[in-house]
Amino acid sequence: MLGRRGTLPFLVGPPLLWLAALFVAPLFLIVLFSLRPESGMVAPGRPWDPSLAQYIQVLKTPSFLRLLGTSTLIALGVAAMATLLAYPLAYFLAFRARARATLYLTLLLVPFAASYLLRIMSWKLMLGPAGVINSLLSSAGLISEPLDLIFTRPAVVITLVYVWIPFAALPILAAMQRIQPSQLEAAADLGAGPWARLWRVTVPLSLPGALAAFFMVFIPTVGEYVTPTLIGGTGGIMYGNLISDFFGRGGNWPFGAALAMLMLLLTVVLVVAAARAVNLRRLIS
Amino acid sequence: MPVHFSRRAFALLAGVSLALAACTQAEPQEILVMEWDGYQDPAFFADFQTANPNVPVTFEYGVSDADILGKMEAGSQADVFHFYSGWQQFYVDQGLVREIDTTKLTNWDKVPDSFKEQGQIDGKQFFLPWDWGFSSILYNTDEIPEVTSWDALLNPDYAGHVSMWNDGPAAVTVAAYIHGWDETAITDEQLAQAEAEWIAQKPLNTFYWSSEYTDLCPGIMDGTIWVAYAWPGCYATALYEGTPVAYANPVEGRNSWIGFYGISADTDSYELALAFLDAKLADVTMANVVNLFYYGAANQDVMDAIEDPILIEAFGIDDPSILETTNFTPPVTDAQRTAWTAMWARVQAE
Repeated sequence: MLGRRGTLPFLVGPPLLWLAALFVAPLFLIVLFSLRPESGMVAPGRPWDPSLAQYIQVLKTPSFLRLLGTSTLIALGVAAMATLLAYPLAYFLAFRARARATLYLTLLLVPFAASYLLRIMSWKLMLGPAGVINSLLSSAGLISEPLDLIFTRPAVVITLVYVWIPFAALPILAAMQRIQPSQLEAAADLGAGPWARLWRVTVPLSLPGALAAFFMVFIPTVGEYVTPTLIGGTGGIMYGNLISDFFGRGGNWPFGAALAMLMLLLTVVLVVAAARAVNLRRLIS
Repeated sequence: MPVHFSRRAFALLAGVSLALAACTQAEPQEILVMEWDGYQDPAFFADFQTANPNVPVTFEYGVSDADILGKMEAGSQADVFHFYSGWQQFYVDQGLVREIDTTKLTNWDKVPDSFKEQGQIDGKQFFLPWDWGFSSILYNTDEIPEVTSWDALLNPDYAGHVSMWNDGPAAVTVAAYIHGWDETAITDEQLAQAEAEWIAQKPLNTFYWSSEYTDLCPGIMDGTIWVAYAWPGCYATALYEGTPVAYANPVEGRNSWIGFYGISADTDSYELALAFLDAKLADVTMANVVNLFYYGAANQDVMDAIEDPILIEAFGIDDPSILETTNFTPPVTDAQRTAWTAMWARVQAE
């Protein structure tokens, strides 16, 4: 039987190789692209001197920086809402669903069986002028003209929260399932009522899961571009759309790479700052 | 110690060597096409498939002319590539394209000379014209009066019901038409003015459309969009669906574009690529372009055979003066394209 040292390469090696080839190497290439001085396409073999020209150009464009700020705020809002809405769901599954927990968990995961695009497109139908919401309000006599629900920034936020709730519930559920019933019983024995047990036992012990859920939603949402493209309209565009446009439609990879690297940098700074602020290491231990 | 081959072994070795040499010299019997999403439909290479049922045709996709050029420049293995007016010179300057031997094209005579010339650089036929169309204003005739100028896209009376194409060069082109600027010599001041005007126009849009058939057409047909920058495909689609729409003849003139195919300089399948392009011009394939996508075809026989009044109107076939007032898309430089795309990104970010 192999010892710890013997098994480590087999356990860690494959995922490390996978990440090195499909994450670290592409990221390194993006860094290289972002340091190219010229605009436009990137041909292999074309000589170049590393330059910060693309970064300087991004930093000199206030509208790009404002959109980065707005997208970060949207991501924070979506992450907070998805985590808050997922929390009671996870609580129900962990403590109330009992024998039916597996069934409910399966139901929670059913949306993942449908394509991401299909789920977004279904919101397009829901929020449209002749969509479900407007039709309901209209037939109830509450509105005479359809509300402008789609092609707005709130439409993007609503859809993203919907998309992320099931994801956010999973790490919270995992954290709650690690809470020993004896801890809750001990709190009850010491006179803690249901709310006190929730606030002073369940919430603190499930906080690492909630924080994991928050970051799991926040990090990809900052760079989101599919949902804004489909239902955001002209006012719902996010920073990710700029990156996508420069890499795709604009064919300007160096500038797109600089935009992407600045977003990555900001996200890392925010996540590290938040982790320090809540003392994540202590919480997890 | 020297090795001695028997006569039989020598003959066998020689045969294998010859076979290997033949294999290495023969062209691969498959075609990879750098395409736009939608053109992978077998209807758009029907004649080639009929003639070559065992030759696989596969696709790589680009989302814009810049993207397609970028991918070809970055070393795509595509044998042929499809792009639109204004980008010809880039491919020639960067050595990405191989001249087309038109003597081997059986359908070449069906292409009008005016189209052929659009695919020539320095007198050499580098590109094969294939599809074409107009860009103009598509509008809902029940909601707004006749549109006579491109400035309808900037009319605040239509707030919330406008849709501009999500494309920087197109935004500059429209601004140039409205102000009478030379599209090929836009100054920094003009670009700044265009940027300010498009930023002011932004709230009028329901959305900027990226896909003609999945974004724009549904919006036109459900009545959300009243005025849009559009191509004839959406116009014909909306007419067939009974939507009350018209396709403007602005005083500044419509815009016109041509789609081209080029053969990659690096292809190992030049002869097969020629056969592919020749079949692209054949009657069944070109008729499919007209009847399924509602785009114009470079095959004049197919265009002459159009009898559908909706298509006749969409292509302006019944208007002999249409080409006199049409602005053909001019070539742009790399610096212009980069500046125009960046301008549009700033408009979007506001």
